[in-house]
Amino acid sequence: MTGRQNWQTAFLNQARIDWDAYQKTRRGMWPECHQLLFLQMASEKLAKALLVAGHSSLEAITQSHAAFVKFMHIASNNRKLQRAFSMRKSQQRAQFKSLLPLAYEIELLAPALAQRGPNPEYPWEDAAGNILTPANYPFPLVIRLRQTPQGLQLLKYIEIFLNRFEELFL
Amino acid sequence: MSQNYNIFSAAESLIQEHFELEPNLESVIWINSDKTTEIRLLEINSMTFPAGAVLSFYFPPDEEFPYPTIMAEITPEEWQKVLRNEIPLPEGWTLENFKVYSREMVTV
Repeated sequence: MTGRQNWQTAFLNQARIDWDAYQKTRRGMWPECHQLLFLQMASEKLAKALLVAGHSSLEAITQSHAAFVKFMHIASNNRKLQRAFSMRKSQQRAQFKSLLPLAYEIELLAPALAQRGPNPEYPWEDAAGNILTPANYPFPLVIRLRQTPQGLQLLKYIEIFLNRFEELFL
Repeated sequence: MSQNYNIFSAAESLIQEHFELEPNLESVIWINSDKTTEIRLLEINSMTFPAGAVLSFYFPPDEEFPYPTIMAEITPEEWQKVLRNEIPLPEGWTLENFKVYSREMVTV
């Protein structure tokens, strides 16, 4: 196994563990911030598991948090996905495109990208000067993920990609 | 039919397909187009989210498309930064041998 393959396995394993944690926090009485924290981490590492197979430097991959949206957009070109889901390329592309706004919201949960705004890890100050805590903040994204067709579809895809990564992407 | 011809045809049909499917695609750069073993595409899309880096994804060959393909998508502003060496290309990629495809070139 090459160094890159070892990195890929490591990212994928961690993404799967993060996804398991997300599922547990959804089922239990965990605060929404912890649910979103694990979801953001799982999605970022899923993207990086595919990225390390490309030619980007490990430095660029590990330092960037903006990987999941790229992954979702580029994945719409994947022929194995088209076959697995019996979709034409144009259908798949259109469907994935409809999921990108929510994917972007998940990506922006990373504190490095949140620009001192809502994120599931650290307190922040809003425009009125109020200091807000993730534990008490009602993240609207949670509702959009649970109650919109795009949210449910995006979560389903993340689960499928993690469970069938080797079949679909390697 | 030579191998070069095959990869050339495959790359151009892939590029054409992407222009047909993606209305916001401004241009496609076929990086190191002299390579005969894989296709490296840099897609310039005005509607993609800037990442500040060229993040490239690998697609393995299959029976339908027998060439490994590595694709990255960046904004027009990021492309200008690549040209000014402010954003590095992925490892092994260079601007020594590349072709630029516009929508007008590949669609009738």
